[in-house]
Amino acid sequence: MQRIFLIVLCLITITLSAQNNAIAPGEKLTYTASYNMSGILTDIAQVTMEASAVKTSKTTLLKLQCKATSYSKWDNFFKIRDLYESYVSPKSLTPYLYNRDINEGGYYKNMKYTFSHKTNTVKSVQKKKPNKVENKTVSINTGTKDIVSTLYSIRLYDYASMTIGARKSLPIIFDREEVKGQITYLGKETISTAIGKKECYKLAIGSSQAGVLQGKNSNFLWLTADENKIPVYGKFKIPVGNGELKIKSATGLKN
Amino acid sequence: MKKIFTILAIIASILAIILSVLPVSNLAIVPVVAAIIFGIAAFYLSKKSGKVNKIIKFTFYLSFIALAIILYKAVFTETEVADVENLEATETKLEEESIEELEDLDIEEIDMEEIDIQDADIEDILIE
Repeated sequence: MQRIFLIVLCLITITLSAQNNAIAPGEKLTYTASYNMSGILTDIAQVTMEASAVKTSKTTLLKLQCKATSYSKWDNFFKIRDLYESYVSPKSLTPYLYNRDINEGGYYKNMKYTFSHKTNTVKSVQKKKPNKVENKTVSINTGTKDIVSTLYSIRLYDYASMTIGARKSLPIIFDREEVKGQITYLGKETISTAIGKKECYKLAIGSSQAGVLQGKNSNFLWLTADENKIPVYGKFKIPVGNGELKIKSATGLKN
Repeated sequence: MKKIFTILAIIASILAIILSVLPVSNLAIVPVVAAIIFGIAAFYLSKKSGKVNKIIKFTFYLSFIALAIILYKAVFTETEVADVENLEATETKLEEESIEELEDLDIEEIDMEEIDIQDADIEDILIE
């Protein structure tokens, strides 16, 4: 009896370790996106990342949503109202449906992807104006995700067991094209954030170039070094100065 | 030299005023400091030669106005998000459409299998 119980327990543990232990429905992360020029910060937009459960008659999925909203002082100059969402499997974060509805300074675009993992294809519908609709089917590789589920799936890796310099390749479908993203684990760092002083995993994002460990890459992301692995700080190189993403609040965390 | 500093002070003070009324008012602090430094340099050089041009004083006025605007905005402007009704409406509409579409999709695959395995394991414990 005890032996069987132990075997079953081991089986469950193994199954769970390969699954989503970091993201739960009800999680809400709020960030401030700012522009940093020589240390002078200007807040531009509020970014929220939310996870919620969505029920269909067959199953329950996880809805991952990212919203970017420019602050009111910017609205008269360059209004941003962006919405990205992905309906994914709650365990593996495999995407089934993706929506992107962006409105940036008068430029509008709506994109919908329907994933078919059996045939490795994505059916896309793009709307730029109400009567300008484009349908296209794109072939993808196994494991290719949309940008939202990729952002969340970065949190599922076991960084504690990774060596410094370890890389993970992330195939992403964006603008109906498959692109290769990459993250490189750069080690642990303790940083001060709005939610306290946190020990973090530092990652370099988006570059497959050599020399990333020597600081040649300019896009970095810091994830808390706990079970939740929430992104608390991001730094991105833009033509003049830096873009920064700082956490403002985190609620509904799983652990 | 006096002329160069005067011209630089004028350019910097005008830039400071323009930036201070834009949402990037924080950045205006750089031309404000530059305008004051160039203004002081031009002022002393003019004083040496005996005649202080009125335009130099004018650059000081512009710089202080810009500084006042920057400080006012830094203290009284709240960074808040407004006018999100349309975004919320889009959100609701997209969710309704998505659920409808998801109902038609064939979502079995990996997850359902995993659930079955786990359920079976748990049942084993109960039987034992």
